Amino acid sequence: MFSLALKNLLHYKGRTVVTFALTFLSSLLFIVYVAFMDGWHEHMLKSSLDVYNNALHVYKKGYREEGGYDYLIENVKSVDAVLRATPGIKAYAPRLESFALLSTEKDSAGAMVVGIEAEKERLLSKAAASLHAGRYLEDNDTDAIYLGVELAHRLKVKPGDVVALIGTATDYSFAADNFKVVGTFKTGLFEFDASLAFVNKAYDDTLMMSANMASYVVASVDDLDRLDGVVSDLRKRLASDLEAVPWSTLMHAQVEAMGVDSVFGYISMGVFFVVIFFVIMIFSFLNIVGRTRELGMLRAIGLSPRDVTKLLMLEMLLLATGAVALSIAVGAPIAWYYELHPIVIQGIAEAYKEYGIVNDQIPMRFNVFTILWNGGVVFALNVLAVIYPIAVANRNTPIEAMQHV
Amino acid sequence: MRILTLWLIGAMLLFASEAEEIIKKVEDNFRGENVYMKMKMVITSERSQRTVEVESWAEGKKKSFMKILYPPRDQGITFLKLDQQLWQYVPKIERIVKIPPSMMLQSWMGSDFTNDDMVKESSISDDYDAKILKKEGSVVTIALTPKPDAAVVWGKIVSEIDTGNDTQVHDVFYDDFGKEVREMFYGEVKTFNGHHIPTVMRIKPLEKGKGKNESRVILSDVVYDQGVSDSYFTKQALKRYSR
Repeated sequence: MFSLALKNLLHYKGRTVVTFALTFLSSLLFIVYVAFMDGWHEHMLKSSLDVYNNALHVYKKGYREEGGYDYLIENVKSVDAVLRATPGIKAYAPRLESFALLSTEKDSAGAMVVGIEAEKERLLSKAAASLHAGRYLEDNDTDAIYLGVELAHRLKVKPGDVVALIGTATDYSFAADNFKVVGTFKTGLFEFDASLAFVNKAYDDTLMMSANMASYVVASVDDLDRLDGVVSDLRKRLASDLEAVPWSTLMHAQVEAMGVDSVFGYISMGVFFVVIFFVIMIFSFLNIVGRTRELGMLRAIGLSPRDVTKLLMLEMLLLATGAVALSIAVGAPIAWYYELHPIVIQGIAEAYKEYGIVNDQIPMRFNVFTILWNGGVVFALNVLAVIYPIAVANRNTPIEAMQHV
Repeated sequence: MRILTLWLIGAMLLFASEAEEIIKKVEDNFRGENVYMKMKMVITSERSQRTVEVESWAEGKKKSFMKILYPPRDQGITFLKLDQQLWQYVPKIERIVKIPPSMMLQSWMGSDFTNDDMVKESSISDDYDAKILKKEGSVVTIALTPKPDAAVVWGKIVSEIDTGNDTQVHDVFYDDFGKEVREMFYGEVKTFNGHHIPTVMRIKPLEKGKGKNESRVILSDVVYDQGVSDSYFTKQALKRYSR
């Protein structure tokens, strides 16, 4: 049966080539498209994570819902000890976020002023790496402020200038001081660059009366794929009034938006597959109808309708297996290569900056399981496409089939 | 049918006009020609309780000046409201700062009052349409909805007013989605030079997680219509009267 199927494939070259080519191209397109879509989404998330959020945060319960000073972590040292003892935690640092007014002689602007531990923060955000002018903060800085470039633009200040900070201390008294701008940063995320300013936490603590306090502690992990396990472990170790929150929860809205985008991507591919399905089915149908007399002859010499079904199905399985295997052999290296060497499209970061894209690279995502199920879907479509033509072929009796013109 | 329609429209206009008249009386009663006050604000939150003491001078709708007397860390910080703009002077940095629009919804001094409250408080009759909801004895409940072109924070305010002495009894503030955001209680009405004033005001946020929060204002040393020097209502005053 196998050799007969193989002979048929070689004999009906036109059908074989067209079906093979369609299957190969649609499978390859699907693999590359999904790798591209997943890579794009992962890139967006990673950009946002790298810029500021990182892998997980430790909060006092209630802070994420209510915010403000009533829900500050009031014993950062104890959280520090827990994080140090938790396997899988790579780096961590406390942050104190407070909304304040930054003012010059002529201009004022509201800003999120973040007290950070400058050196530790290098490992946790892109603040230092996004230096635009001047310099980044140093651990021994006092009244130094590091501004987003858009915020500096609004305040019309540059490194060396002085801005007044007026905010509310954690005891709700006024916190005010003059800060010298030591540098500006540009991440490419407009909102981030327009609203954030960093100061050294040690100095900020004297101003905000926030020694040993933090809005939250940010942490990175050794392996992002094992984040759930680390978070679970951390939750067991933390005091009951604290919570460990992974990035997927912190960026819930963005994750959901990407889910919706993926659905639309799959719908687009679905429409394409419907077309491919019918094209393959029509080709198979025409091929099988054209072979009616041949199939009638096979039935006459002893093959049952079941055998005919097996033969035709085997032909399709051989074709689909070859085409899908080849598409995987070609598509997987493409996904792998472009994961390591992302495609660069000049200007894409500017166009998509509100989605968190901070550079012009678009990497693909190489994932063996995804590639296999992509190929599997196209394979299944091929098998489904041949069922109706086979059913039509089996309707004729051997005599009717042999008399078919 | 036409008579009924005319009657209904007439009744609605009459109610609206009466409501606006009541609001205007309350504002005139509270504002006076000019007023000097000392007040204590006790701010209670989840984590702490603190007291702020303030001295204020005001003239009409558009001018007011405030100076913080207590706590010592904040002593000498001054605020000037001129038209609908808010300015602030902080002695520590010797800087006069205009509070920008983006900061108007921020808490004032960590209380449940916002900067916007400090500026817009006396413009209810200008910015809101008033409508009587019910009358019970001398207490009238009025719904205040923003006028179409008014730049206001609240989606609606429902105010209970004692028309016997033209003072507010209770206000509920709603956001743009009709959700209750905070309520304000007024009590201990006293008379100063013919003005009936609630000397204790209590504001309570109704948002989830702020159950323990409350800001209580207690007025003392209230002096009405004795004249306030124009020198308070200039930007120079922020620094001069800070000492």
